[in-house]
Amino acid sequence: MKISYNWLKNFVDFELNPQDLASVLTSVGVETSVVSSDCCWTNVVTAKILDVKKHPGADRLSLCKLSDGSKEYQIVCGAKNVAAGQVVPLAKIGASLPGNFVIKKSKIRDVESEGMICSAKELGLKKDSEGILILDENVKIGSALEDVFMENDSVLEIEIATNRGDCLSHLGIAREIGAKLHKVISMPTIKTFDVASLNSVKVKSDLCLRYMGSIISGVKVGPSPKWIIDALEKSEIRSINNIVDITNYVMIELGQPLHAFDISKISSKEIIIRNAVELESIIALDGKKYQLDPEMLVIADNQKPIAIAGIMGGEYSGVDEKTETIFLESAIFDAISIRKTSKKLNLSSDSSYRFERCVGWDIAEFALWRAANLIIDIAGGKMEAKEDLQTIKYEKTKIALRIEKMTKILGYDIEENEIAEILRFLGIDLQPRGERILCSIPSWRNDIKIEEDLIEEILRIKGYDSVPCPKKHVNTVCTTNSSAFIPKIVEKFRTKLNGLGFCEALNYSFLEIKELEKFNLNPYYKISNPVSKENEVLRPSLLPGLYRNLLLNIKQGSETVTLFEYGKIFGELGEKKAFAVIMYGKVWQEWWMWSDRKINSSYDFYFAGGIIRNILPFDDFVIAQNLTSNSYYHSGQTAAVVYKGEYVGQFGVLNPLMTDDVNGDVLYFEIDIEKISGDYVEKKSQYKAYSKFPIVKRDISIVSNKSLRFSEIEEVIKSIKKSGDILKEYSLFSVYFDESKLGKDKVVYSLRLSYRNSNKTLTDEEVNKDMYALLEKLDINLGVRLRE
Amino acid sequence: MNVEQVVVEAMKKIRNAGFEALDGLRAEYLGRNGCLTQILKSLSQYSVDEKKKIGSAANIAKNTIDSEIEKRKEKLKKNLFDEKVKKEVLDCSESFYFPFSKGGFHPVVQMIQEMSSVFVSLGFSVAEGPEIETEWYNFEALNIPQNHPARDIQDTFYLEGSNSLLRSQTSTGQIRVMEQYEPPLKVIVPGKVYRNEASNASHSSIFHQIEGLSVDENITFVDLKSVLTEFSHIFFGSGLNVRFRPSHFQFTEPSAEIDIQCPFCKGKGCRVCKNSGWIEILGCGMVHPNVFKAVNYDPEKYTGYAFGIGVERIAMIKYGIDDIRLFYENDLRFLKQF
Repeated sequence: MKISYNWLKNFVDFELNPQDLASVLTSVGVETSVVSSDCCWTNVVTAKILDVKKHPGADRLSLCKLSDGSKEYQIVCGAKNVAAGQVVPLAKIGASLPGNFVIKKSKIRDVESEGMICSAKELGLKKDSEGILILDENVKIGSALEDVFMENDSVLEIEIATNRGDCLSHLGIAREIGAKLHKVISMPTIKTFDVASLNSVKVKSDLCLRYMGSIISGVKVGPSPKWIIDALEKSEIRSINNIVDITNYVMIELGQPLHAFDISKISSKEIIIRNAVELESIIALDGKKYQLDPEMLVIADNQKPIAIAGIMGGEYSGVDEKTETIFLESAIFDAISIRKTSKKLNLSSDSSYRFERCVGWDIAEFALWRAANLIIDIAGGKMEAKEDLQTIKYEKTKIALRIEKMTKILGYDIEENEIAEILRFLGIDLQPRGERILCSIPSWRNDIKIEEDLIEEILRIKGYDSVPCPKKHVNTVCTTNSSAFIPKIVEKFRTKLNGLGFCEALNYSFLEIKELEKFNLNPYYKISNPVSKENEVLRPSLLPGLYRNLLLNIKQGSETVTLFEYGKIFGELGEKKAFAVIMYGKVWQEWWMWSDRKINSSYDFYFAGGIIRNILPFDDFVIAQNLTSNSYYHSGQTAAVVYKGEYVGQFGVLNPLMTDDVNGDVLYFEIDIEKISGDYVEKKSQYKAYSKFPIVKRDISIVSNKSLRFSEIEEVIKSIKKSGDILKEYSLFSVYFDESKLGKDKVVYSLRLSYRNSNKTLTDEEVNKDMYALLEKLDINLGVRLRE
Repeated sequence: MNVEQVVVEAMKKIRNAGFEALDGLRAEYLGRNGCLTQILKSLSQYSVDEKKKIGSAANIAKNTIDSEIEKRKEKLKKNLFDEKVKKEVLDCSESFYFPFSKGGFHPVVQMIQEMSSVFVSLGFSVAEGPEIETEWYNFEALNIPQNHPARDIQDTFYLEGSNSLLRSQTSTGQIRVMEQYEPPLKVIVPGKVYRNEASNASHSSIFHQIEGLSVDENITFVDLKSVLTEFSHIFFGSGLNVRFRPSHFQFTEPSAEIDIQCPFCKGKGCRVCKNSGWIEILGCGMVHPNVFKAVNYDPEKYTGYAFGIGVERIAMIKYGIDDIRLFYENDLRFLKQF
């Protein structure tokens, strides 16, 4: 909301400049900033031309003498329209004008000039202008030019909390200033009218709490006076005609929305406030047709609605140039009803905005008379009749405030006298009752409902700055055992992957349905009110998001994309935490030292598997065959991660059919953190003593069938390791298959075996014996033999 | 030649000898047939006194020559390596090193971790709550009744076929923690929140918050101010002033917003703080009695404070990021900067 600084001064007497006023209002919770006037100059003042002479050295130039009231200036001017007696904008030495133009002391044809008289173009006010800008001769000289244009006013931009409907007017803001500065508010003087009751208004719904109106005849509709147009403009309200403008003027002045109907356009003399009926509709002032329903409140004549109550009037009952008699409405409608209707119709207005936030009971009456006074003053006319119907009996809210309670919440004492003074300046009536103070809340403060609200009032007016702020001892209260946002196991993954050059991604939890379909994933949670397609469903896997990131990064030129993400996924069993890694592209970057070597290996199944094994922190995790692999994996290149006998994750090459939009394999790993983080404790393996005696290494090559899984051979090796206790390590250093040399389905594995005894140096015989035991067992169990 | 002459001659030769020559010289003087050995062998022809004299002189000479040869060897070796090292000087310019790819932790996650650890140091523990919630946890229990204008600010995503919604604020965590534990409580709840609004440079339909809650029999506004001022001083630096401003939240009363002096202009006013000199960092307040009633805490017995911080906002201030959407694009050129 935008309001005028000067207008506030009509209500409350204060000395603060606009900037300081904004700070004071912000300090009481009304966020305020001064709207910068649109001027793009500094140091330009109004000055009067006292004398104009010809420049001694140039025919086209004039030598002017100007005064700003305190000093005289000699200015050289080239404009033709310059004349003595004019009031003009004078850019003084040091002034800056649009286009980084700074005025300096200068000599023009040997005559000194102490500034410049500006044209509208030079001030950036118009694109083109002829000659200097001549101002109204009544303008006070010596004023800053921007103040002349703003008529010495400032516009304040104000943000109001949802509970402070009472602040949506100049009066409301003035009350806040008064409360803070301990000043009493002065209201505009109004004349009330002693006229007959209208007797033709019927309130037929309790969604209307109070309905007041008056009939004014003989008005002359026309343009508003300048002061009203200017006032509305500062609050960004367009001028329509004097009657409509006055209703708006009073609304921004006092906070009460008003509406004026042309009585001649109402088909009966009756005005009925009722709920709309099924299939009823109205064309509102915005020219649009609105379909109404029985939950909505309307103002109607005996045939049809003439206004959507509290939101917008009907088009055909509005005031226009031909209007002579008006019905002026000032009412209080149920805030929730207005809000619901406004939401349903997707129609809001300055009026509905205020009604939703509650308007004050008493101000409705005052505002009606204020507007009637202004209408009769400005548009003429005569007050004919009035009405005031109330469907509830209004009573002020009463709250007992306990000083003790206040101290308990605030943590320090505030003097009782000070409390009383603050409350009084907020318009609250006080009656001390022993330990308590009984407070009667003024009608405009609908937000004050409980003791705590009063405590906030006292504190905010006293100032949050005044609350002591001692350095507190840290008292640890053990609420939960956790002290980190990220589970330890995930922290481990993140640290290791970061060291490998992987980056952490964060994706939206939403996906488009077609992104799921790409990977054969089912949506378990659909959003019922998505703002766009991107928000259709919740992700059942981290894959589509990371894949989207992959495509983006390939597109921007990355040859390697390695990302990981930790977050919630939403599957069959609800939401759960998951961690995922995506790997694509070259493993190594190009490097000049390697230019003669072939370093072009890409992320593939075994390399990625090595990374997965490396980040899984201890022996409880085992890589196993993926028996229930997701269909987004290449069915032959995927494996499972098993934790304590339970399948917790899968990795592998993504199904090439689904990733045909990139060249080469995409590797993906996803693990269910929910299943492990709960019982994961940082586990350190027991220290194992190691031997001081030398190692003996033997290389063997064995021939196996391709159909035999290597892990079966490993099982045999492990059993020998266990029984002989001297085979300590083995590694696979070559895998070789060549049909022409080995025959179909044969494969040669070369293994390096490392033997060591913990108590003595091994002899050849001992090593041979153990190795033969291995070869024999391989032969007997698996038919795997030493290569000839 | 007597011993002295031998030493003088040997020293002279050693000083000019190369590697191979040194071995010859060793043989010549100290070898089995070397001249000093010869002198020692011929001692028998001398008297006892002379034997002693010549013998000891010859032995000293042997040691002298031996150590001189070793010294010379060391020297030659050093020269050799000096030359080798001189030849092997490499250009140490940046571009020659192996270009290990740089990893990165997401700035939002980092921010949550950094803020959490400050709160942990101030005595808070960390809890979490579900992202799929009910109206009760997200609104009603937090004193935001149906049809309250406060619901406007937080347009909410609802899920099809259920009464569930995606939490629009981590304040749901307050309710969950209070339902589960009895006071005293001192806990933060970091997490994702969802708002049903179109994305632009400063709004995102998903962002992160850190909720804080402390409840006990004697928690006051003074505690709130002390703890959050302390947090701000640790996290942003004690050089930046902190300002408490009255505000309004449905679930706290009194409510406040906290501003810090703009870290870019130190309060003078700049583009980032829109010339105000202040930047809002969080909202807070004393827990509303209706919230206590919702979780069956006695509001006459317990008091508490709560606060909520927008993580992306803080990350944007800290890193000077001007578009919130950058956090969720996951462009490597962005991620590798953190």
